[in-house]
Amino acid sequence: MSGAGGVRLRSPQNLVSGLILIAASAFVVWMLSGLSQGTMRVMGPAMLPRWTAIAIGVGGLVLVILSAIRDGDALERWHLRGPVFILAALVIFAGTIRQPGFLVAAPLAMLVAGFGSREVRPRELVIFAVAMTIACALLFRFALNQALPMLVVPALSLNF
Amino acid sequence: MELLSNLGLGAAVALSPVNIALCFAGCMLGTLIGVLPGIGPIATIAILLPLTFGLDPTAALIMLAGIYYGAQYGGSTASILLNIPGESSAVVTAIDGHEMARQGRAGVALGISAIGSFVAGTIATLVIAALAAPLAAIALIFGPAEYFALMLTGLAFAVLLARGSVLKAIIMILVGMLLSTVGPDLTTGQLRLTFGARWLADGIEIALLGMGLFGIAEVFRSLEHGEARQIKEAPIGTLLPNRAEMRQSVKPILRGTALGSVLGILPGNGAVLAPYASYTLEKKLAADQSRFGRGAIEGVAGPEPANNAGAQTSFIPLLTLGIPPNAVMALMVGAMTIHGIVPGPQIMTKMPELFWGLIASMWMGNLMLLVINLPLVGLWVKLLKVPYRLMFVGIVIFCCIGVYSINSEPADILIMGGLAIFGYGLTKFGFEPAPLTLGFVLGRMMEENLRQALMISRGNAMTFIERPIAAAFIVVAVAMLTVGVLPSIRRGRDKVFTE
Repeated sequence: MSGAGGVRLRSPQNLVSGLILIAASAFVVWMLSGLSQGTMRVMGPAMLPRWTAIAIGVGGLVLVILSAIRDGDALERWHLRGPVFILAALVIFAGTIRQPGFLVAAPLAMLVAGFGSREVRPRELVIFAVAMTIACALLFRFALNQALPMLVVPALSLNF
Repeated sequence: MELLSNLGLGAAVALSPVNIALCFAGCMLGTLIGVLPGIGPIATIAILLPLTFGLDPTAALIMLAGIYYGAQYGGSTASILLNIPGESSAVVTAIDGHEMARQGRAGVALGISAIGSFVAGTIATLVIAALAAPLAAIALIFGPAEYFALMLTGLAFAVLLARGSVLKAIIMILVGMLLSTVGPDLTTGQLRLTFGARWLADGIEIALLGMGLFGIAEVFRSLEHGEARQIKEAPIGTLLPNRAEMRQSVKPILRGTALGSVLGILPGNGAVLAPYASYTLEKKLAADQSRFGRGAIEGVAGPEPANNAGAQTSFIPLLTLGIPPNAVMALMVGAMTIHGIVPGPQIMTKMPELFWGLIASMWMGNLMLLVINLPLVGLWVKLLKVPYRLMFVGIVIFCCIGVYSINSEPADILIMGGLAIFGYGLTKFGFEPAPLTLGFVLGRMMEENLRQALMISRGNAMTFIERPIAAAFIVVAVAMLTVGVLPSIRRGRDKVFTE
C-alpha cells in the first residue's frame, strides 16, 4: 500500500483509529460550544471535557503521523453476526421488559441472541430459553427479591 | 492491641448469621457468574451489583466482597480447566494450571490455588488492618491539590502497567475521563454531552460500563472463534495436594503473598502485575526452569496467592484515600455511593462497624471459598460443560437483568449495547478497555479536586508544585511516564507480559 507523495502507509490500524479519534474529538468540542469554560479560578462546565477532547484529538494526530513512520498492525476483520443478533436481542428486551414483562422479554431476547452463534441449534435453544427464563424468574424475583416486572398485561389486568 | 480489638469488632459484625449468609450467597453467585468463560471479576460484579441494593450498607459491602472473591475463584477455575482466563491476571495461572489439568492433576491445581489464596487472603487481611489507620491519618492532611496529584500518579502508573502502546493507554484514560463528564456539571448543574437525551442526564453508570465493555463485548469477541473450547474429559483427581507438593508450594505461596500485598497497595492497579511478577520470580528461583509451562505446581502456587493478595490490598487505597485503584474498586465506589457512603479516610472513624466488618468478611469470604466452594468444584465443572452457543445466551440475559435492576430503565440496556459495540471496536483497533475504566472513575474526582484546588489557590496552577506533597506526587507521575516511554524499559515490560 502506498499513500500520496511517496509516504508509505505502515499501520492502517493506527491511521484509521487516529482519524476516528480526531473526528470524535472535533465532534465533542463542537457539542460543548454552548457551554462556558470559565476561568482558572472558577472552572466552568466545559473546561475539563473540552481540554480532554482536544488532548484526545492530539493523540489521534500522533497516531496518524506514527502510522506513516512505524510499522503496525493491519485492520482487523469485524465479525458482525454475533453483534447484530445480540444487539437485536437487547433492543427486544428493552422494548418488552416493562410491558408485557420479563416472562415474554427474556425468552424472546434469548431466542434472537442465540442466532448470533454460527453453531446455533434451534430446538436446543428453545428448551434453554424456556428453562433459563423460569430459573431466572425464580432466582431474581423470588429468591433475591429484585424488582423485575414478570407479566404485565393491562387488557387482562395482569400485573405480576 | 488496638488492632486486635478492631478486628474483634469486625468479626462480631461479620459473624452475624445474616452477614454470614450474605457472604456465602455472594461467594456462590460470584463463582457462578465468574466461572463463565470470558467473564472476569469486573463484569461479574457489575452484573450482580443490583442484588445488593436492597441491603443495608454494611451487609451490601460484605456481600460484594463475597461476590468479588467468588468471581476471582471462578476465574481461576475456568482458566485451569479450560485455559480461558476471564481476565488478564488469570492468564498466568492458565499456563501451568491448565497443563496440570491435562495431566489429570486439575484437582491439585485447584486445591493449591484455593489453599494459597486463603493463606494470601489471611495475611493480606492483617496487612490491611495494620496499614489502614496510619494511611487514613496521612490522608486526612491531604487537600484537593494533593488528591489531584495523587490521582495523576495513579493514572501514570496505570499507563506504565498497561499492555501494548503507551500512547494508546494514555488515549484510553483520556476517553474514560471524557465519558465521565457526560451528565450534569457538579457545580453549576448544566448538562454536558447528553445530546439532550433524558436517559443520559444522570451520566453513565459504572456498572453499565463494566457490563458493556467487559461482558457483552467479550461475548462478541468469543463468538468469532466458535466452539473451539471444549473441556477436557480428564478426571479432576484429588483436591488435596500431597506432602511433597505442599512442601514445594509453601515458599512460592509466601513469596507470592508478599509480592501481591505490596503491589496491590500501589495506586493505579499494581495488583494486575502481581501474578506476572510472581511467576517470573518463581521461574528464576527454580532449580529446573524447564518444568515451567509443563505443569509446575509453583506456577500456580505463586501467582494465585499473589493475585489474591493484590486483589485484597487494593482495597487499601479505596478505604483510606477514597481513590479506587482499578475498575473492580471503582465498582465498589459505585456500590458505596448508592448506599450514601463516601469512601475515604472518614469511613474508619465514622463507621467503624462497616469498615472492620468489611475487613473481617474479606477473611471470611476466603475461608468460605476454601471449605465450602472447593468441594463444589464438580458443580462448576458441569457448568463449564454447557456449550458456548448456549452459555453466551445466558451471559446476555444476565447482563440484561443486571442492567434493568439498577434503575428499572430500559434505555440503559441500549446504552450497554452501545458500549459493547464500542468495546468490541476498541480491541479491533488495538486499545485496551481497562485504562478507560480507571480514567472514567478518576475523571469525576479529578475534576472536582482540580476545581477546588484552583479555587483555593485563586487560579494559580503553581499550587501543585508549591505544595511539597503534591509536588512529590507530580514528580513521581512524570518519572513514571518518562520510564514508560523509554525503549529499554518498555522491552523489559513487554517481556514480563509475554512470558
